[in-house]
Amino acid sequence: MLAVRAKSLSKTYMGEAAPVTVFQNLDFDLEESVFAAVMGPSGVGKSTLLHLVGGIDRPDAGRVEILGVSLDDLSPKERARFRNERIGFVFQFHHLLPEFTAEENVAFPHRIAGVPAHEARQRAAALLDRVGLADRRSHLSRSLSGGEQQRVAIARALARGPKLLLADEPTGNLDSESARGVFDLLTELHRERGMTTILVTHNPELAKRCDKIFSMSREGILPATRFSG
Amino acid sequence: MSFETLVALRYLAASRRRAHVALISTISMFGLAVGVAALIISLSLLSGFQDRIRAQMAERSPHLRVSPARGPILAEPGRVREALVSLRGVIAVEPAIEGRGWASGSAVESTLPIRYRNAPPGELSSAGEGGPPPARVSAAVATRTRTAPGDLLRVTSSRTRLSPLGPLPVTIMFRIADIRHAAALEKTPDIEVPEDAARLLSGILSGARAYEARLADPARAEPVSRAVSLLLGRSYRVQTWRELNAPLSFALRLEKGVIFATVALVIVVAALNIVSNIALTVVEKKRDLGVLTSLGATPGSLARIYLTLGAVIGGLGTALGVAVGVSASLLLDRYEIVTLPADVYLLTHVPFAVHPREVALVAAFAMATAVAAAALPARAAARLAPGEAIRLSR
Repeated sequence: MLAVRAKSLSKTYMGEAAPVTVFQNLDFDLEESVFAAVMGPSGVGKSTLLHLVGGIDRPDAGRVEILGVSLDDLSPKERARFRNERIGFVFQFHHLLPEFTAEENVAFPHRIAGVPAHEARQRAAALLDRVGLADRRSHLSRSLSGGEQQRVAIARALARGPKLLLADEPTGNLDSESARGVFDLLTELHRERGMTTILVTHNPELAKRCDKIFSMSREGILPATRFSG
Repeated sequence: MSFETLVALRYLAASRRRAHVALISTISMFGLAVGVAALIISLSLLSGFQDRIRAQMAERSPHLRVSPARGPILAEPGRVREALVSLRGVIAVEPAIEGRGWASGSAVESTLPIRYRNAPPGELSSAGEGGPPPARVSAAVATRTRTAPGDLLRVTSSRTRLSPLGPLPVTIMFRIADIRHAAALEKTPDIEVPEDAARLLSGILSGARAYEARLADPARAEPVSRAVSLLLGRSYRVQTWRELNAPLSFALRLEKGVIFATVALVIVVAALNIVSNIALTVVEKKRDLGVLTSLGATPGSLARIYLTLGAVIGGLGTALGVAVGVSASLLLDRYEIVTLPADVYLLTHVPFAVHPREVALVAAFAMATAVAAAALPARAAARLAPGEAIRLSR
């Protein structure tokens, strides 16, 4: 089964002066359990593609199916629930909520799902332990280093045990050592949990370690180059 | 605690670090508190005066009045009297003998149309045997007939009696014993006279036009009125003292309504501060909203975060306002701080009366306004395009 099936996607944003067409008629398919890298120059719509696949943005035209479920057929509420249960997001700038501790940030997906506070905190603590931040649980997220913040963000993305992980340049803002650490963590967790992972990156070294590489350009998306698996 | 409440409370607590938001939060909270306190103090002031007017009204007018639904006179006065006397809480039952006529004083040539009625027994005592019977007149009648206590006043009934010379008007000369000062809209008779004089003027030699009762507790007039209606049936009309003084009651309610509406504008203005405060937080936290959406939060729960924020600011402001307003009113009344010239107002100080129902109404209004104010930016938060919020916050 395909983890992601995107057909004829078009997306235009209202720019300040004129509408900006990000892409038109874009097709993108990805099998389950694959760790895929998406590369390409800035502005070709890599992040937009992730947002459309993750259902936090709606395409102007085209359809997105995730794990056999068409996002168009879901109500906003059902889509939110689907995202909560099946999809995890990691952003370039970690996007942790600064007023909350690492543990509270990781507990958010559970709290949104209605898991009682105590249980949500326990599960969050276990995940923080897994990403190597057991001693940072009660630190406010803004007091953590860049690499630590991104690990917390990864733990938060994996809180609900998603089947699809969408990572938008998670190493783009880190020094090379932290970047390697975060990437290693992602690959480990990907295999451990049998997820499908899409990683947007500018780093060819990291991309080469993925199962597949998709190259995006103004003309669209090139068929995948398969490295392994 | 739901995650929406958690986020709202944390935003409020953390706003201390964002000086501009903290300032606006504090201003909106204090603004609301000032509005709530002002409204409670104004209503307490008005209640203080109105309670006195109502007490006066309850003291002066009969608490219940039973009159025939049709016709000028009670068909079975005995039955009406018995029905009223049989009820618990009724302490006195008196007949009402009343009619219309004209009054004239010796100083003024013209006559003045008036309503007369019998005074409660024992209230008007004759000055001496043989002289004209006493009468109590309203201030308006005294002014227009240019009479003062001790003067004579001629009252001519609209009824005539037959004489060998043909129909003659019934006329009685009274000596003014007292002048009654009443509130502008209070329904009082123009002239009160002893019962026998009233019977003579009206020609109602037995029975009555209506029976009037006084109750031990005027506040229980409505249930007693219903009981009387049940006992007597539909051929009688039963009115409470509130219904008898309907124009005055209406005027008092209107006065309170107008004060509420105008002073409540302070709360509305304070609520506009809440709108800007929460709108600012929505703009500042746009990225968080996008992130929460990516984690599975629904547009509804994003809106609830800001509604909760509004409710918390509203709740704190309302609580503070209620505390200040109620204690200020109680202190002003207890220590009689605002004094009045007693010869003008018949009161030595401005009375304040705190009615819990009014305080609850003000608090509910302030809370509802605060939440309604938060609803505007909350809706904007719910409509935010999350992808854009994340994309633009890089």
